[in-house]
Amino acid sequence: MKTLVKWRLIVISLSAVLLLNGCGFKDIDKRLFVVSIGVDKAKNSSKKYLVSLKFAIPGGKNKANDFFIVTEKADSMAEAVRAIKTKVDKEIDFSHAKVVVFSEEMVKLTDNAGVYYWLARRRDIQEIAWVAIGTPTAMDVLKVKPKSEQLPSNALFLSLGKDGSETPYIISEFYFDMKKRLIERGLDPFLPIIEAKKELLEVNSVGLFNKSKLILSLTQEETKILNHIMNRENKSALWVKTGNIKFIVSTTKIKTKYKIITLKGKQPCIKVSVKVKGNIEEMTAKITNEQLSRFEKAAEKRLKKQIKEVLVKIQKANVDPIGFGLRYRSRHFNNNDWEEWQRIYPHLAFKVDAKVEISDTGLIE
Amino acid sequence: MNRYFLYLVILNMLINVIIFIPKILIEYRYKGAVMGVLIAIPIGIGMNYLYSHALNKFPGQGLPEILAHSKYRWLVNLHLGSIQIMWFSAGLITLLGFTDILSRFVNPEMPKLFLITIYLAAIFLIIQLPTKRVMYFLEIVLYLNTPLIGFIIYKTLTSEFLSWDSILEVGTHLFEKPSLKAMAAATYSFSGFTNLIIFNRVIKERLKIWNFIIILFLGIFNLFTTFFIPIGFHGSDGAQEYLYPWISTSDSLRLVYSPIERVLYIFLMFYMSISLMSISIHWHVALELLKGTFKEKENKKKNWMILAAFTCCAFAGVLFLNTVLLNKITAYWMILLLGVEVITVTIFFLWARRRTA
Repeated sequence: MKTLVKWRLIVISLSAVLLLNGCGFKDIDKRLFVVSIGVDKAKNSSKKYLVSLKFAIPGGKNKANDFFIVTEKADSMAEAVRAIKTKVDKEIDFSHAKVVVFSEEMVKLTDNAGVYYWLARRRDIQEIAWVAIGTPTAMDVLKVKPKSEQLPSNALFLSLGKDGSETPYIISEFYFDMKKRLIERGLDPFLPIIEAKKELLEVNSVGLFNKSKLILSLTQEETKILNHIMNRENKSALWVKTGNIKFIVSTTKIKTKYKIITLKGKQPCIKVSVKVKGNIEEMTAKITNEQLSRFEKAAEKRLKKQIKEVLVKIQKANVDPIGFGLRYRSRHFNNNDWEEWQRIYPHLAFKVDAKVEISDTGLIE
Repeated sequence: MNRYFLYLVILNMLINVIIFIPKILIEYRYKGAVMGVLIAIPIGIGMNYLYSHALNKFPGQGLPEILAHSKYRWLVNLHLGSIQIMWFSAGLITLLGFTDILSRFVNPEMPKLFLITIYLAAIFLIIQLPTKRVMYFLEIVLYLNTPLIGFIIYKTLTSEFLSWDSILEVGTHLFEKPSLKAMAAATYSFSGFTNLIIFNRVIKERLKIWNFIIILFLGIFNLFTTFFIPIGFHGSDGAQEYLYPWISTSDSLRLVYSPIERVLYIFLMFYMSISLMSISIHWHVALELLKGTFKEKENKKKNWMILAAFTCCAFAGVLFLNTVLLNKITAYWMILLLGVEVITVTIFFLWARRRTA
């Protein structure tokens, strides 16, 4: 009996909790979901940024990918969002904001730290949001409505994530990784560049930062090579020309390793070794399976040259998206390793070693 | 191998994510945290061994029962009281920390007082149960949650965004002078053994050496994950910018094919029950010790008074402490806890040896 009384008391006191009104909760029909955020440099204005938010309009099956974009000029993200709140009728919810697009002009400005850090400070913006550069403007990228898209901005999510198309020309970047690169000494940020076409989005290049500012944009082929060096994507293709035969190796595995060698009295160098496995997908002349080793050699030679060119280009711009500096820091116990590395990096030599294994020439010889 | 003993230790290892340990360790990453962690491991294991070895001489008894017939009543009260205050505050810090996390990530518009009320109601339900049932409760919660938390840790370790270079960079600061704060924070992972003060009631057999070997490996793995995984994800220079490094790390994971893509919410869901259990275990110990300090038999009125005092402390904590302050206090509190632990373990070990010799 005694325990029963005790339990009754507990149940009563617990149910009293239910009486407390859960005031914070807003229903889903009173919220507007932001699917992507765009930040441009404001034109013809005293303000610094033009912030645009793309809202999904929840609808039925027939017009599922309806959206609208609200923009505002402001000097900071927080101000812009507050101002946008006055333009819409419902509460703005960032929990589905999965892509943040900065325009090329904006990332060339110097003091953007406020915007970059705003994303981390807000609890509701995901750390796994993708970040990218949009051309010609971020706004244009948000406006594009590809035919195959089923939900607003879903085309962007799919192409930046690996669950949709898989290509070596996209090096996608999560926000938390970019934030790490913004501050980590010896590892610089990079962002994929999205180009807005009429009804398509094209992602095939990458912009490299020296911490805060965009310094260098790579071309399509260079982006692919950078992707190989960073081990981000295995499925790729190598274009090789030997003599007057052109052939294409479709790869199944690419593995890159590198090692920094600093010997006293010698020029410091990085040994990069790449291992590629794949088969031939297309060729301009007949290649039999016996001749493959010759073509392996040709592919190796070409790959070596390409990788070296990209590495030198990155080094000339004095940026470090691959993290050579971090590797150097992590292998040296002294406290001034970062200063040492800053002196070493411009004079570094690259020694590239490539190994290509072509298994066959596809289903036919 | 005694599983109840392991549960108590593992619980503390799991909860250190909430109680600011990653934050403290990462703050001192270039200033002696690595050495501090390495020193903390033998200290933690040593204390585990000595204390449980001493308690083992009294199978099935908690500390209040063991000391019940002592002549020096005031000494017993001081001994029990100091542990009780430390263990109550351990639960309080976890409670305040987790309320803060919940109000930040789950329901920012709900007043913290409401959140804490709900939590307190559940905690009071548990801590008044007999020790044995609290233990069973813990077992169920751990069985439900640890495999899934293990899965999250597995995902972090296999993620391509985990930068081993960043981890090794922090590792190269191995030879710094060890930091006391970091060392004290790291020993917290091992201090689950202190719960034995009361929970020895459910442990009837002798603890074999295997228990301590398992704890050694678990502890090393646990400290590695608490300290280094946030560094691998957020960089050796960047990780210290986060208020809750591990929670931001769980937000940096993406489970494409899970019902919820953001791991953060899954992670918080698991931690809701784990922190509930951790607070309950600590406060159950505190409550039982407090009961042990009274001479007369259990008395309902007194029981309610104790619970009311607990509630007041929790409310006061919510009203007067903010996260940054709580974080700072916790860093010093860890040092205090280490001191109290070392003293109580030594005293009790010596006392038990003389007693049974």
